Amino acid sequence: MIEFTRANGCNIIRLEVPGRIEYRDVVLRTVSSACKLMIPDSRSHASRCSEFTAHMVSAIGEAYNNIVLHGYAGREIGSVRMQIESSFDWMRITISDLGASFDPFQAPPPDLEALPESGLGVFIMRSFVDEVSYTAGPPNILTLVKRLDGDDGNGPNRVGLTEGKAS
Amino acid sequence: MHFHLSTQNGVSVLVIEGELDALSVVELRPLISQVGEERPPKMVVDLSRLRLIDSSGVGAIVALFKVVRAYGGNLVVDGVRDQPLAILRLLHLDRVLIREVAR
Repeated sequence: MIEFTRANGCNIIRLEVPGRIEYRDVVLRTVSSACKLMIPDSRSHASRCSEFTAHMVSAIGEAYNNIVLHGYAGREIGSVRMQIESSFDWMRITISDLGASFDPFQAPPPDLEALPESGLGVFIMRSFVDEVSYTAGPPNILTLVKRLDGDDGNGPNRVGLTEGKAS
Repeated sequence: MHFHLSTQNGVSVLVIEGELDALSVVELRPLISQVGEERPPKMVVDLSRLRLIDSSGVGAIVALFKVVRAYGGNLVVDGVRDQPLAILRLLHLDRVLIREVAR
């Protein structure tokens, strides 16, 4: 299910997919399209648009992986709901699921010098956006905010955590 | 994701196209074992046609790099750009893996 509305100067896209890895591409193509809508004059801002899209797609891809590979592992697979809100210079994506809670702020930072082969997803997600908040569910609600002239993606961002019911 | 391994002028060239992610990375794992057995001394991973990579895909590239390094071989990544380049830079892997960075 996908829905598009416009309210208070913001584009709002809502998407709901089954919590399976096969739907990852649908989710990421929706995010990519939303980025292009947000920066419509992509010819004159090609580099900025490309970087913003790369960062947002990377962050959401890791968030989605966590939900479908870990949150719904070993339990009944529910849906993943995503809402993308964007104005001319910011985008906020809220993802909710009914799987096991996964607090992204408890993940230890990777030792990049050791060339790790795993444990990089949360670091990538946090590094490429300006704000992260998480409420443990059900439903678990993860919110990522990125501004057009925000963080350059060189390290973990400021964080805000709202604790809900523990899993 | 599609990939193919060939030999050009004594160098093993692995071309990976499309998306290397949690869904497709399992297809690449047997090749990592194959490289460990065949032990090519020089290897280039051509990512010029790679559109998207995630942490799982990065893990596979790093695993391949470690396999080649373990037997004393040399591996470089070539042609990476856009989203995959942003990921490799964030993880400081550009310093380790990349021979020529698209700019």
